Amino acid sequence: MSKSKTLIKIKPNTYKNGDVVKVSFMVMHPMETGLRKDKKTGEVIPADYIKSAKFEYNGKVFTTMNIWETLSVNPVITTYMTIDGAGSLKVTFTDSKGTVEESSEEIKPKG
Amino acid sequence: MKRRDFLKNLSLSAATVAVIPTMSFAADDKPKASNALAYKDALAAITGGKTPEPSEKVSLKVPEIAENGAVVPVTVEIDYPMTDSDYVKAIHIFAAKNGNSRCIDAHLSPANGKAMLSTRVKLGETQEVIALAELSNGNFLIASQSVKVTIGGCG
Repeated sequence: MSKSKTLIKIKPNTYKNGDVVKVSFMVMHPMETGLRKDKKTGEVIPADYIKSAKFEYNGKVFTTMNIWETLSVNPVITTYMTIDGAGSLKVTFTDSKGTVEESSEEIKPKG
Repeated sequence: MKRRDFLKNLSLSAATVAVIPTMSFAADDKPKASNALAYKDALAAITGGKTPEPSEKVSLKVPEIAENGAVVPVTVEIDYPMTDSDYVKAIHIFAAKNGNSRCIDAHLSPANGKAMLSTRVKLGETQEVIALAELSNGNFLIASQSVKVTIGGCG
């Protein structure tokens, strides 16, 4: 897969400074294990999976992840983060083919 | 070449063609990913020989019966403070019997506010799913649950 799409979701929708909110990242990715065979040609489909993920908030890395092919197709990863001022949340994924995908979301705390 | 010889050769070559695919198929019976690491080795690599302590503080939510092994939701939550001096450093999820037992390692920091990780994994067969939490004081907490898989998710 040449291009993946990343969706960032923050729950709840409205939050203020100091709140601990749920952040979900959904990536469109085939997560091929390299073990499956193409049913038509019988050839092995090469491995293609997300290797690592990095989460940055206002330029500061707060979570990094090592990921293997054992994760399901189109991985959804959820964790928590503390809201600490307005700014941007950036997610960077790198897959086994070397593709780097970035996505960001504006953080706008109310009050 | 006489007609008889030609037919003889033809039937011989046909026989070899018929045999080879079945042989190669048998060899591929249990393929393994190039980066496969068994559960015991993966655990030892992280803990460095320390014995993780089974703890109720680690809550692992996995369905007991998974109809589809390709998409099994896993949620790990650790009842532990996330302060600058005392926090959960990392959460690891393993699937004990998968070719590659490692699923995900999440390296957290106090900025997370809460130690929680949720995702979806593939399970090849009925097996145990294990959650390991690495604390900032160097200790390890562990929890596991077996999941019955009715349709395999790998291959």
